[in-house]
Amino acid sequence: LSSNSQRRKDWMKLIYSSDLTPEEVLSGKDDRLMTVDEEDDDNDEFFRLKTVSRRVEDEEEIDSSKVVSSEEDLKKWVGEEALDSIRTLFITGTARQEGGG
Amino acid sequence: MAQMGLVQFSGHQHLRLRLVLSILSGKAVRIDKIRPDDKNPGLRDFEISLLRLLEKVTNGTVIEISVTGTAFLLKPGIISGGPLTHDCPLSRSIGYFLEPIVMLAPFAKKSFQLTLRGITTDDQDLSADLFRTGTLPHLQLFGISDGLELRIKKRGAPPAGGGEVQFLCPIVKQVKTLNFVEPGKIKRIRGVAHAVRVNPQFSNRMIEASRSILNRYIPDIYLYSDVYKGEESGKSPGYALSLLAESTTSALYCAEAISQPGVAPEDIALRAARALLTEIEKGGCVDRQHQQLVLLMMVLGSEDVSRCRMGVPTPRTIQFLRDIRSFFGTSFKIVSADPSDEDCSQLLYSCYGTGYVNANRTVA
Repeated sequence: LSSNSQRRKDWMKLIYSSDLTPEEVLSGKDDRLMTVDEEDDDNDEFFRLKTVSRRVEDEEEIDSSKVVSSEEDLKKWVGEEALDSIRTLFITGTARQEGGG
Repeated sequence: MAQMGLVQFSGHQHLRLRLVLSILSGKAVRIDKIRPDDKNPGLRDFEISLLRLLEKVTNGTVIEISVTGTAFLLKPGIISGGPLTHDCPLSRSIGYFLEPIVMLAPFAKKSFQLTLRGITTDDQDLSADLFRTGTLPHLQLFGISDGLELRIKKRGAPPAGGGEVQFLCPIVKQVKTLNFVEPGKIKRIRGVAHAVRVNPQFSNRMIEASRSILNRYIPDIYLYSDVYKGEESGKSPGYALSLLAESTTSALYCAEAISQPGVAPEDIALRAARALLTEIEKGGCVDRQHQQLVLLMMVLGSEDVSRCRMGVPTPRTIQFLRDIRSFFGTSFKIVSADPSDEDCSQLLYSCYGTGYVNANRTVA
C-alpha cells in the first residue's frame, strides 16, 4: 500500500511551508519535488515539475465538500474478505479472534 | 499575504470557505482571476447567489464585483441572522449554500431562521438529510445544540428542484474547546431512504439492499423510509439513500448515494453502503466531509489547545488549513495519531484556539 510513503510525511512542512498544490501534497509527488527545490542540478527534474502543475482537467474543479468515493474504493467491498477486515471497528467485532460476531 | 486587513486570492476555487473566513475574521477579501480564460468568464450564477445570501445574513457587508465578473472585493459586516428566505438557483443544491451558513450562524446577532428553496439532494453537495443527521451533530461537539434544527419541509430532486428546508440555529458566545481523540467503535447505523415522484417501493428496495451488506456487522441498524407526497415531493423524480454510522464515543461517519438514470435502486443502495464502509475504514473521529467544519470550530475555540484525531486531510482541507493561517494566523500541529504504529495513517490535529467571542450577539 501507499501508506508507506504516507506515514513518513511531514504534514506541517508540506502544508505550511511548501508551494505544492493540495493534490501534489497528497499524491506523494512531494519527495521528488522537494528535492528539486534543494538541488536543481538536473534539468529533467525541472521539466517534470512543470508537467505536474500543468495537468489541467477538462472538467472544472467543483467547489464541493462532498467526498465522492471512487469506483475503485467501492469495488474493494465486493469480496467477503474485505468486508470482514473492518469487523474490529464495530462493537460486535472481537479484537483479535475472528468468527466471533 | 495578509496586509492591513485585506486578504487576496486568485481563482474561483475554495470560494465559499474563504468568504466564511473573511466574515468571521472581519478581514476583507479580494478574489481575482475568476475563470479568466473560460468561454464564459467570471462568477457563476450560484456564486453570485451565494454572495447575495451572505449579504442578506449580514449587516453592513460591501461587495464590489468587477464589470467582467472575474474579480470581486468583499468587506465583511456583522452577521445579523434572524428570519430570512433565499431562493437557491438550480445549478447547485441547497447544501452548497447551507455549508457556509452553518459555519457563520452560531456567531450571529440573532438566531438564524433561514428558509432555503431549491434542490435538496444532488450528487455534488451534502444533501439536506446528511446535513440534518451528520453535520449538525458536529456542532454539538462545540456546545452548539439547543434549538439547532434542519427541517425538510419539501423535497426537491434535480433538475427542477422545488424543495424547501428551514435551518434554525442558536447563537453562542463562544465555542467549546474540542478534545476528541478516541474514535471508539461503531455501535449503530442509521439511514434515511426517500423516493419522490417514483415508485415508493424504491425506498424499501434500497433499504433491503443496503442491509445485505450492513447486517453482518451490528444488529442496531435502523433505516427509515421517508415518505413525501404531492406538493412536498418537489418537481422532479429522484431517490437517494443516506447512511450514518455512530461510534461509542459519538464519532460520526456519513455517506450517501443518489439516483442515477438507468441504475437500479439496489445498486444505489450498495454504493451508499460501500461508501459508508470506506469512511469507517478511514477512521478517526471525524469523517472526510466534516474535516473543515471541525477544524474551523477548533480555531475559533477558547484560548486553549484543541485536539482532534482525523484521517489524512482532503485536498480541500489542505487548502483550508493554509487559508486559516492567512486569515487567523493559526497553524495546526499535525502529527501521526499513533507514532508507535507504523501503519497508522490517522493524524492528530491540534491548535491553540483564538478565543473567538461572538461580538455580534445581543446581550439579553
